[in-house]
Amino acid sequence: MKVKILRKRPTEDKQYWEEFIYEGSPDISVAGMLDELNYKDDIMNAEGGSVPRIAWECSCLQGMCGGCAMVINGKPALACETFVRDLGDEITLKPLSKFPVINDLVIDRGIIHENALKVNNYIQEYKESPAKEHAHQYSAARCLKCGLCLEVCPNYIKGDRFYGALFANDCYLIATRSDVYNKDIKKDYDKHFAAGCSKSLACVEVCPMKIPTLSSMAKLNR
Amino acid sequence: MTTKEIMEESTNSTNNNNKTVLVVGSGIAGMTTAISLAERGIKSILVSPFVSERAQSVMAAGGINAALDNMGEGDSIEQHIDDTLKGGCMIAGKDAVTGLCSNAPDIIKWLEKLGVVFTLNKKGEIDQRAFGGQTCRRTCYCGTSTGKQIVSALVMECRRYEAAGLIERRLWNDFHSGLIKDGKCYGALLFNEAFASLEAVYADAVVMATGGQNALFGKTTGSTQCDGYAAGRLFMQGAALKNLEFIQYHPTTIETKQKRMLVSEAARGEGGRLYYEEGGKRVYFMEDRFGSRGNLMPRDIVSRCMEETGKDIFLDVTQLGADVIDARLPEVRDLCLKYAGLDIKKESIPVKPSVHFFMGGLAVDEKHETSIEDLYAVGECASRYHGANRLGGNSLLAAIYSGKTAAKSIDEKKIVADQDQTDKGQAEVEAFFGKYIQKESEKIVKDFSSESRFPVMYIRDMVAEIMNTDLGIVRDEGSLQKGISDLDYYIDISSRIKYDSSVLEYFNYSLPAILNLAKATLLSAKERRESRGAHIRSDHPETSGDFAASSVISYNDGNFDITYDMEGRFEH
Repeated sequence: MKVKILRKRPTEDKQYWEEFIYEGSPDISVAGMLDELNYKDDIMNAEGGSVPRIAWECSCLQGMCGGCAMVINGKPALACETFVRDLGDEITLKPLSKFPVINDLVIDRGIIHENALKVNNYIQEYKESPAKEHAHQYSAARCLKCGLCLEVCPNYIKGDRFYGALFANDCYLIATRSDVYNKDIKKDYDKHFAAGCSKSLACVEVCPMKIPTLSSMAKLNR
Repeated sequence: MTTKEIMEESTNSTNNNNKTVLVVGSGIAGMTTAISLAERGIKSILVSPFVSERAQSVMAAGGINAALDNMGEGDSIEQHIDDTLKGGCMIAGKDAVTGLCSNAPDIIKWLEKLGVVFTLNKKGEIDQRAFGGQTCRRTCYCGTSTGKQIVSALVMECRRYEAAGLIERRLWNDFHSGLIKDGKCYGALLFNEAFASLEAVYADAVVMATGGQNALFGKTTGSTQCDGYAAGRLFMQGAALKNLEFIQYHPTTIETKQKRMLVSEAARGEGGRLYYEEGGKRVYFMEDRFGSRGNLMPRDIVSRCMEETGKDIFLDVTQLGADVIDARLPEVRDLCLKYAGLDIKKESIPVKPSVHFFMGGLAVDEKHETSIEDLYAVGECASRYHGANRLGGNSLLAAIYSGKTAAKSIDEKKIVADQDQTDKGQAEVEAFFGKYIQKESEKIVKDFSSESRFPVMYIRDMVAEIMNTDLGIVRDEGSLQKGISDLDYYIDISSRIKYDSSVLEYFNYSLPAILNLAKATLLSAKERRESRGAHIRSDHPETSGDFAASSVISYNDGNFDITYDMEGRFEH
């Protein structure tokens, strides 16, 4: 099976395509396949040339850390949850397009944290929240900060103004736990989310944790 | 809160000052340290290659122990202490474990205040479930993702102090080495892969929070990011390591195409049964041997019993019924279906023990300080509390308690008063390290300008093979000695091989320390001529009073020295 990867060396700016041949089982995830290509004594491209090992962000290999979000055959997804058997005869892998590329498939998602920091996105004075909020709080706190919701969002460009679904969920977590109903959080939510969201809901569909962002929005819009 | 307000609030601090602390690793232990320092008004630099969401902490699904007795079973802190000491086969320090267990209820309260959503029982109190080796239901949990929920809360709490300038996060940095002179640590060298450069960060204290030594075994149930390099490097720089031979094999892992995955202990806590088949009949070997609670014996005992059967073992949860599985074990259900095509409501799960947790690591005292002054270690990279075997639910607890303890110790430590002396000393120290940094930088430049056909990845694979073969659940002198000889060969060539340009520089410079850490582990296992907890010797099957203490191994220019901490220098 042919695997085409959009690559980049850490010290250079230019991206380039490189092809590999994968001959293992199709019942493996794309993450597992990348591991197999990488962890041999030598790594060779389809032409038999010796090349640098493929860089991709990986920690858990089982859908718990969000590191391996990438564009697989045109579709943004976690590599560890996408199986080779479902991908046809050829696989193309690209880094997420809305973040600076560091190295091959490794991207810099620093903007997610920087934006949250910019608007003081944390609990001010803790207040116990009613039990009926717990299920949704639990769900929102499962966010991997993988960036898939930003990648598919038609409104998210570079994160300089519109911060995306993951920000809305964090706002919800804070608003339901802060002692004084936090006007600032509501203001930031309006400015950096509500004002820019065209409700395509692509974020809900792509989310590997299936976070019901719509529900966060409903609670914050109240 | 503003910086000023936070500074004014940090009344806990005994010694509010201008200390700066370098924290390496941003999982639960590292973040707790940074937050606890900030609560005391102390600034920290929190360094990691990736964001906290990638830390292995997010994989800790099971829960966190605290004797709250919410289940009304008469649980107590004394009982928690007793279970932990017994689980650790009586070599963990009683004072250490007492501190851990006594603080557990407050830690749970602290987490609640940070917004961690614990699962509640019918009375509206935190629910507690059964884990191995416990006399009462003691493990608090957050649905199926306790570690993740704690990480999310800590990330947000860190942000409060980042905004106040008390925590500075630095990403894309790998640990390179400690800046250590005459048994005292002055900071650390960090390596930035994107710029291929080394940077010295001086600090009043350095706290290591780098996780377990997974990479010694290739792929484990844990994160690929935890490789043990930092512990290995610091060991070569003079820090003592402790209890390396105690490696927890989690009894129930399932093979998938990408790695062995953990089937949470909760599956047995809820009533899952282990068995093998013989003559068409099921043999529930744990229950036959230990009675109705047999499936929930401590992990070392379950793994050992499984190994002793010599049979394929299965875990059956079908009898719990679809409703209980959906409600209580959805992560086990999903994982088995997604990665192994197995429906646990209908089929038994084929399970095997696999490397899961390292009771050993950097030796630390009651302050969580290593044998190097001003160098601390917390979380899994530190060795404390768990003795020869860790109980489920105690690792998250130890990660948080150790972070709080290290922060308190750093806060309480007096700085040298004489400013002139300090300035002079500082200049001398920086000149000394100037030379060291230059030498290490030259090594890296040399790496880049050399080419080798001898791949680093090949040697790393060989290390994993040696460790898995010669340091399995059951060991003996012959296999351990063979492993040591094999490692000696690779240690010898590692000083002569050139740069492997196909991998990141990190994989190149980390190799010698990983090889030496592997050797230290095998040596510790060989020296302990008894069986205790997770360390099982077929040639020494009995537990022996001669070894009723932690092993401590130190390194000096290629020589390894092992002693037993009978006096409790590190842990009592």
